[in-house]
Amino acid sequence: MFHPLVIFSYFVIVLFVTMFTSHPVFLLCSLAGGVAFCGVLSARRQFLSDIGFYIVVFILLSLANPLFSHNGETILFFINDNPVTKEALIYGEFIAVMIIAVIFWCKCLNEVMSTDKTLYLFGRVVPKLSLLLTMALRFIPLFKRQAEKINKSQKTMGFYAADNLPDKVGGAMRIFDSLIGWSIENSLETADSMKARGYGLPERTTFSIFTFRLDDAFMLGLMAIYLLIFIAGKSAGFLSFHFYPTLGRVGITELSAAFYAFMALFMFFPTLIEIKEQIKWKYLESKI
Amino acid sequence: MSYAGRMAEEVNKKRILFILGLLVAVVFLFWVGIVLYKDRAYNIISIMIMVLACIPFYAAYEKKEGDIRRLVIIAALTAIAVVGRFVFGPIPFFKPVTAVVIITAIYLGSEAGFLVGSLSAVISNIFFGQGPWTPFQMAAWGVIGLIAGFPPVKRLLKTKPGLVVYGVFSGILFSAIMDIWTVLSYEGVFNWARYLAAQATALSATITYAVSNVVFLLIGIKPIGKKLERIQIKHKIFIKE
Repeated sequence: MFHPLVIFSYFVIVLFVTMFTSHPVFLLCSLAGGVAFCGVLSARRQFLSDIGFYIVVFILLSLANPLFSHNGETILFFINDNPVTKEALIYGEFIAVMIIAVIFWCKCLNEVMSTDKTLYLFGRVVPKLSLLLTMALRFIPLFKRQAEKINKSQKTMGFYAADNLPDKVGGAMRIFDSLIGWSIENSLETADSMKARGYGLPERTTFSIFTFRLDDAFMLGLMAIYLLIFIAGKSAGFLSFHFYPTLGRVGITELSAAFYAFMALFMFFPTLIEIKEQIKWKYLESKI
Repeated sequence: MSYAGRMAEEVNKKRILFILGLLVAVVFLFWVGIVLYKDRAYNIISIMIMVLACIPFYAAYEKKEGDIRRLVIIAALTAIAVVGRFVFGPIPFFKPVTAVVIITAIYLGSEAGFLVGSLSAVISNIFFGQGPWTPFQMAAWGVIGLIAGFPPVKRLLKTKPGLVVYGVFSGILFSAIMDIWTVLSYEGVFNWARYLAAQATALSATITYAVSNVVFLLIGIKPIGKKLERIQIKHKIFIKE
C-alpha cells in the first residue's frame, strides 16, 4: 500500500517518541495506538491471548518498581519496614505502559514490514547483509523440514530417544549433527548455482514492485510536520511530567488538549487506514 | 609509494574517520541523554548505543571483497543456530545458539562469529518475539563470537579446559548484558544496586546458560568443527584468515 520507506520511518518515529517521553497522556496514546493497530492486523484469538499475556506482564513490571524504589511522599503501606509509595507505584505503571507499548509496536512492525520490503529498503545500502538475512530466513524452514526428515529416518532405523535426559540430548544431537553436514553441503551448492547464474555481476538489477507515489510523499511530509509539532510541544512543556517527590499534574489548556489530540491521531493513523481499507475491500467484494 | 600502498592508506584513513564518526555519535548520544533528558532516557539511549556498537562490524563486512560461498556458509550457520532452538525444543534451557556461535568463531574467525551471533539474535526473534531486547541480544551474542575468534583465544579454545572456561564466561557475559535491559525495563533508569540485584535473582538462569553452553560445546565441537574444517579444505574458503 505505502512505500516501505514510509512504513519504516513511521515505526522508527513512533518507537523513538514513545521511548523518549514519560508523559502519562502521551504514553497511553501510544499504547492504545499500538494495541489497536495490532488488533486490526492479527487474528482475533491470537490478539486476545496476547492481551491476556501482556496484562500479566504489566502487573509484574509495575509492581517491580515500588518494591525497589522508595522515593515519593505519599506512603501507602510498609513491607519489611520499607515504605511503598503511591508515586513509585504509578511511576512503575507508566514505565510498564511504555515497555508494553513498544512491544506492541514492534509486533506490528514485524507484521507489516515483510522480508521483501526489508530487502528492498536495505538492499541498496547494505546489499550483502540483506542477502545474508534473506538467505538465512529462507534456510530456516528448509532446515526445519530436513530435521524432521532426519528424525523420521532415525526412528525407522531404530534410534528411539528414551524418556531420560541424556538419551534425549544424544538423540537431538544426532539429528543436529547430520543436519549440519547436510545443510552446509546444500548451501554450498546454492552458492555455486548462484555464481553460475551470474550473482554479483555488474549491471544486474533487482525486481521490486514498490513505487514511490504522491501519497507516500504526502505521508512523509505529514510525519515531518508531526515531528516538528512534537518538538514544539516538548519545548513548550506539554510532555514534561514529574513523578517524584509528588505526582505532577497534567495541565489541560486548549492548546495542550489540541496537542494531545494530534499526538493521539498520529498514533491511531495506521489503524484508521487499515480499517478504511478493510471496509473498502468488503464493499468491493460485496459487489462481485 | 606503490599504488596498492596508497590505496591501503586511503582505506585506513577512511576507516579511522568512520570510527571517529561512530565515537562522536556515541558521545553525542550520552550528551543528549544527560543534558537534554536529564538522565531519564536511559532505555532508548542504551538501545541506540547497542545498535551503534554493531555497525562497524557490519560496515567492514559490507566493504570486503566477498566470496559468495562465504556469505552462504554464514547464512547457513545462522539458520542452523536458530533451527537448533527448535531441534532442542523438548529439552529445556539446552539451547545451542551460543555454542554454534563459538564454534563458528573458532573455525571461521571473528567476523563470521560476530555475524552469526548478532544475526541469529535478529532472526530467532522474528519467531520468538522481536522487541527492545533485540539489540542487546545482538550485541551479546555478537561479542561472544567476536572474542572467541581472536587468534590467541582461538588457540586456547581448541583445548578442552579453555573451552569449558569460555563456555562459562559466555554464559555470564550473556546474562550481564541482558540484565542491563532487565533493569531498564523495570525502572526506566539504570542503577547499580538494581543491576546487582537483577544479577543475583538471575543467578540460576546464568548457571543454566553456562552449564548448557559447556555441555553443548564439549559434545558439539568435534562433529561440527570437523565439518567446518572439511569444507574449508574441500572448497578452499576462509583459508586466508
